Amino acid sequence: MSDTDYAPLPVSDKNPHEGENEKYHTFVNLALVLSAITGVELVLVYMPFNSVFIFTVLLALSLFKFVAVIAWFMHLLYDKLIMTLAFGTGMVIATGTFVALGFLMSPSNVDMEAITQF
Amino acid sequence: MSDTANAHNEEEDSHAGLVVENKKLLMWLFLGSDCMFFGTLISTHLIYRKLYPQSYDPLVVFDLELTSFSTFILLMSSFLMALAVSAMHKGQLKSFRRNVLGVIFFGLIFLSCQVYEFAHFTNEGLTLSTNTFGSTFYLMTGTHGVHVAIGIFWLLCLYFYSHTGKMDAHESAIDVEVAGLYWHFVDIVWIVIFTAVYLIEYIPGF
Repeated sequence: MSDTDYAPLPVSDKNPHEGENEKYHTFVNLALVLSAITGVELVLVYMPFNSVFIFTVLLALSLFKFVAVIAWFMHLLYDKLIMTLAFGTGMVIATGTFVALGFLMSPSNVDMEAITQF
Repeated sequence: MSDTANAHNEEEDSHAGLVVENKKLLMWLFLGSDCMFFGTLISTHLIYRKLYPQSYDPLVVFDLELTSFSTFILLMSSFLMALAVSAMHKGQLKSFRRNVLGVIFFGLIFLSCQVYEFAHFTNEGLTLSTNTFGSTFYLMTGTHGVHVAIGIFWLLCLYFYSHTGKMDAHESAIDVEVAGLYWHFVDIVWIVIFTAVYLIEYIPGF
């Protein structure tokens, strides 16, 4: 067997830890942003703004925090699609249950007198 | 022969792109099912809150500053957990231990805050059986607290295991990553609870 009869492992010029180092900066930035958002949320509820506006902003900020942690801290952004599907299915069912229960059990749909009789 | 070897390597590379870590996939499936679990608990709390708005005024007992502090602590623990996973991928065992200890410490602070909050609420007369608000609130936040406690125990096991010398930095990276996923999940559940249960009470008319 000559020296050329085997295929040497491909050697990358790139530092294998370079990706992890890049992630470090992302993690630091994300932690700062998440802390700042929590501070904004705390202040916002005491502000004399319209209730609907406060509710909408709180919802948007929470959603951003939720998605950011999943995407970057939990690496879902870098992982395979099947992981997203595995988690996404549960999330969709949970959200569907939440919405469905919200409609079914809204005060206008529930006979409060019948409940209080028990 | 060289062509055959190259073809074989190319095939292996393409398969490597398809490999899915079973432990990780199972954890994501579990977290998906846990989403449904917490989704139901949070829905129940909010529905009862809407059906019986006069049953209790939580602003009497809530301390938003303390809860915000708890939220901040849990977010920072998530940050340290991400660093611990990254350190493990780089094979830096010492850095992994440092970060995991930080996560455990922050987790314990969070649990202490929760215990303090529960004790304060109980002293104010709000117990599990006081009303629907107490029942759903304690059940939901208590379940989350149990999840945090399990996470702390899991991380403690990993920390002590790393001292046995049996932990291979590269082979154990997936175990640490799976534990990390669980910890981050506990964090995102709290993000939802913080807004849906605590903050929303401070908005007039909601």
